[in-house]
Amino acid sequence: MRIEIEIERSNPAEGQPARFETFRVEVPRHITVLDTLIKLKNEVDGSITFRRSCRSAICGSCAMRINGRSGLACDTLVEDELHRFGHLRVQPLAHMPVMRDLAVDMQPFWNRVEAVNPWVETAPEREPAWPVERETLMDQAAVDEMDDTSKCIMCMACFSACEVSDVDTRFLGPAALAKAYRVVADPRDERKQERLTALNEVGGYWDCTRCNQCVQACPKDVKPMEAIVHLRREAINAGLTNTAGSRHITEFIKIVRSEGRLNEGRMPLKMVLSDPKKLLSVLPLAVDMLRHGKLPSPIHPPIPRVKEVRRIMDKKAK
Amino acid sequence: MTMISHDVVIVGAGLTGMRAAIEMGPGVDVAVISKVHPVRSHSGAAQGGINAALREEDSWESHAYDTVKGSDYLGDQDAIEIMCREAPSDIRQMEHWGVIFSRADDRRIAQRPFGGAGYPRTCYAADRTGHALLHAMYEQVMKRRVKVYTEWFLTSLIVENGECQGVTVLDMASGELVAVRAKAVVFATGGYGRVYLTSSNGLVNTGDGMAVAYRAGAPLMDMEFVQFHPTTLKSNGVLITEGSRGEGGILINAKGERFMSKYAPNAMELASRDVVSRSEQTEINEGRGVDGCVLLDLRHLGRDKILERLPQIRDLAIKFAGTDPIEVPIPVRPGAHYSMGGIKVDVDGATPMPGLFAGGECACVSVHGANRLGGNSLLETIVFGRRAGTAVNRYITGRAMPIPGDHHLAAQRDRIHTLMSRSGGERGNLLRHELGTVMNTDVGVFRDEKGLMEAVAKAREINDRAQSLWVMDKSRVFNTDLTEALEMQNVAELAQTIAAGALARKECRGAHYRNDHPGRDDANWMKHTLARWTPDGPELSYSAVTVTKYQPQERKY
Amino acid sequence: MKLKYAYYTGCAAKGVCPELDQATQAVARALDIELIELTAASCCGAGVIGELEYDTQLAMNARNLAMAEQLGLNMMTICGTCQGVISRANVALQHTATRDRINQGLIGNGGIYKGTTGVLHLLWVLVKEFGLARLEQAVTHPLTGLRVGPFYGCYILRPSEYLGFDDPYNPRSLEGVIRALGAEPVDYSGRTKCCGFPIVLENESNAMKMVGAHLLEAKGNGADCLVTPCPLCHMNLDLYQGKAEQEMHRKIGLPILHLPQLVGLALGLGPEALGLRRNMVDAMQLAADVGAT
Repeated sequence: MRIEIEIERSNPAEGQPARFETFRVEVPRHITVLDTLIKLKNEVDGSITFRRSCRSAICGSCAMRINGRSGLACDTLVEDELHRFGHLRVQPLAHMPVMRDLAVDMQPFWNRVEAVNPWVETAPEREPAWPVERETLMDQAAVDEMDDTSKCIMCMACFSACEVSDVDTRFLGPAALAKAYRVVADPRDERKQERLTALNEVGGYWDCTRCNQCVQACPKDVKPMEAIVHLRREAINAGLTNTAGSRHITEFIKIVRSEGRLNEGRMPLKMVLSDPKKLLSVLPLAVDMLRHGKLPSPIHPPIPRVKEVRRIMDKKAK
Repeated sequence: MTMISHDVVIVGAGLTGMRAAIEMGPGVDVAVISKVHPVRSHSGAAQGGINAALREEDSWESHAYDTVKGSDYLGDQDAIEIMCREAPSDIRQMEHWGVIFSRADDRRIAQRPFGGAGYPRTCYAADRTGHALLHAMYEQVMKRRVKVYTEWFLTSLIVENGECQGVTVLDMASGELVAVRAKAVVFATGGYGRVYLTSSNGLVNTGDGMAVAYRAGAPLMDMEFVQFHPTTLKSNGVLITEGSRGEGGILINAKGERFMSKYAPNAMELASRDVVSRSEQTEINEGRGVDGCVLLDLRHLGRDKILERLPQIRDLAIKFAGTDPIEVPIPVRPGAHYSMGGIKVDVDGATPMPGLFAGGECACVSVHGANRLGGNSLLETIVFGRRAGTAVNRYITGRAMPIPGDHHLAAQRDRIHTLMSRSGGERGNLLRHELGTVMNTDVGVFRDEKGLMEAVAKAREINDRAQSLWVMDKSRVFNTDLTEALEMQNVAELAQTIAAGALARKECRGAHYRNDHPGRDDANWMKHTLARWTPDGPELSYSAVTVTKYQPQERKY
Repeated sequence: MKLKYAYYTGCAAKGVCPELDQATQAVARALDIELIELTAASCCGAGVIGELEYDTQLAMNARNLAMAEQLGLNMMTICGTCQGVISRANVALQHTATRDRINQGLIGNGGIYKGTTGVLHLLWVLVKEFGLARLEQAVTHPLTGLRVGPFYGCYILRPSEYLGFDDPYNPRSLEGVIRALGAEPVDYSGRTKCCGFPIVLENESNAMKMVGAHLLEAKGNGADCLVTPCPLCHMNLDLYQGKAEQEMHRKIGLPILHLPQLVGLALGLGPEALGLRRNMVDAMQLAADVGAT
């Protein structure tokens, strides 16, 4: 089939700003986006620049934005893209400076990964001497708990897709936090509390907006956002309850337990009462809401049969 | 021109390179150089597992015997014994370093049966063992703050008075050539699968370290031994794991016959890789193939089993072959998979050139001989990566930093300038296609004198043409057109050694099969091939195989 | 056959966005869709309860789904977040082992869940079950000339494996509805993005940057208003729009309509019937412009 592909070209270091260049090329039906790029590079324009190696979605080199979606070029079929979008447009990943064409400077990504100290930490005195006589004993269930996050190939697609990273460069992002959970969940690691505490700060797990872009983008089904949710759960269970994020969850649960549904009149109230500065900042909004009949009464009748909901919730608490 | 110094420079950041770096003693200034980021290395693509006799019922001697037999008695038995004896400790250390191995009911590392092994001793992490090891190794590299120069491309070895004193590299981001002087250099640059047209290897597997060492005077060993994996996808050579046959998948030809019954009536599809690959190629050559392939049929396993046990294989087949194995068989064919040959090293990774060490797939110790057993390649990277590190520590002790001249870098600058200034000529990747086709046809699963003579001549001719490639991209920044041209020169260099070694070796042994010389010939050919670079092409010589206690026997499964 | 659903309002439509419930009921009446409200249904958990207590959230939704199942009806939601959470719960509850485990906690309540109920958002009902052609015929006051930016929100699109409706990267259903109503959909990249609501209490500045970026982009592409199938998106885009303006140092003033409000306008329902007066960013002028009185 004869197709058209638009490639974002740039070479900032040599003064060439980003522009789209369109190529028309004859390709077989089941060709991937990566093989199309390779074909163009070999036969049409050798200066088209991108990373690639394994061609089978394990090395993570060829992540790029394909019709706006961050993913691997090697596991994306041209035909599917044309069918979905009617066109084929490739761009470098977002949130990292472009080196050239589709190749980005990966340093911002790796800085984030390194920031979570992503290795299993054992106290030096417990490091086994050589020769190592025995392995740590571990249940397969523990292995399974790490299954999703350990599948990560660090392709950076999730970081590129991350919407908080659109607005905040401090956010560690999905891959780094998924890696953090991979270590937190590891029974061999001895720094769990320290890790959870360190990530209980700005840029950590509470800054995720749960938009699911990372889950959708991930080519290996790592589900980074689920890992972030697990970190939040571990943090609350570990007593790290001093954040707005943790209060949001616990207050939410309390309100639903008492009324069967969330009362948005009480939720922000609970959140801001502990913080006078915040209280002041929401006052004008509250007045405005009152004017539009949008300020729900903080006192709300519970739903019928609320006892059933309480039973469900209390069962868990036991 | 830039010159930097490190006590030790390691080229390649896969499992071997990173393991060697971790082994460096305190106070040793080590740097790892890699043309790709460490986690992009091809070690991560290994699926099946890593062998070690961990259980009391098993023994390293049994592992060694299986390996010697699998090597078709070309492996050096002292090296094999070392690898198998040290394997358990290395695996357990990797476990302590964070590798998430699958677990057995008794909570120890799970192990499964693999081809050619007398005991289920292959440790695994689901079907992504290499990936698990690679990422854990990189975690250790981050933890130890090992200096890594990412996307630096190896261009030459600095050798003065026969001693290795460093490397020259191209910093891809800036396009700048850099000389890195060092007391010792370790090559851990991987295999040469990309010499072939159809290969399960990543596009980066161009044998750069082997070619650079060879040009600099280090001998290559047993280059003619190339393992062909029986089930790679027709479209792009992507690997379909042996597990698909382990789960009951069968191979059929165009007539729908289960042809393995003719070739290996007992083991059938689970015969050793060389046997299955040859059987497939025979079917294809005799006109019973389907468009240059045979068919891997999983349909009888049923939807549920495929989804449960082989979900990734299904995914690969749908994405890369456009076929859903639940409904139709997958077209597969033998593809180059592993390089048994490489830079000749001893059991400590030392090459015959002082100061140059090597390990992993780019080296030939030799632990794989004429045919590698599944689960031994990952093991080799870790055992011999560590051993090379230890040896380098010893080697550099008390050594002064060498002071090589400027001409090494100047020569590389001229080489690249010449390539870059050409405004026409042959494109590297099209030439690579031509070379790969020759290698597939004449130095593939089946070989004979006529084809090999043609291949030797053709490889020589292509190597000449590769000296004047056309690099279209004129930018200094991240010029992958340039690095692909340099890679093309590397594969062309190596192709000559593979073809020459195969032409000379008049016998069948392991992965090397000569139609015109049936049978193994221990009297004349139980010896290693050594290839040395000369201006007129490879010069071959031979060296003895080390035998300890395993005398050659007929290899039957 | 008359369409009939077990109507799950979710919390927002009973709290801060009563106009959503009101407009939904008005539109359903106009289109002759029968809604049986699940008055005893609880909060879906919004993914928030599930963050700490996954099984609790699953059990609450099994209880909600069981109510619809007992009526022999599919459930209709009017909140993208509810839809995402309940869809996902429903997928999880299709596994017998999970369902049995969760049902243990429901014994003694109104009944267990057998796993037979479908869950559809009003948007999906309009597109898939009512039909856009029929909707177009039902339009009495086509919104000719009105340029509407669709704002899907996250949970009605992602992760798509639990939802199975729109393409998460190139959804078409809202555009289809907008066209059926005689209006013109405005394309902008923010249409599939996040409104930032889940972090508005934790990190208001980030949330407002997200809101501001999407609103300005849509407005820049010519949108007269946005329409959203999610009341939580609505809150962030509408209720917090003033804050977003402060964050972006720009006046935006883009009306944000709930999906049934937009549909209602084209069906000739008045601003009062649709609760338009409750929208924080003035939508009355827009209603007047399209001829609604």
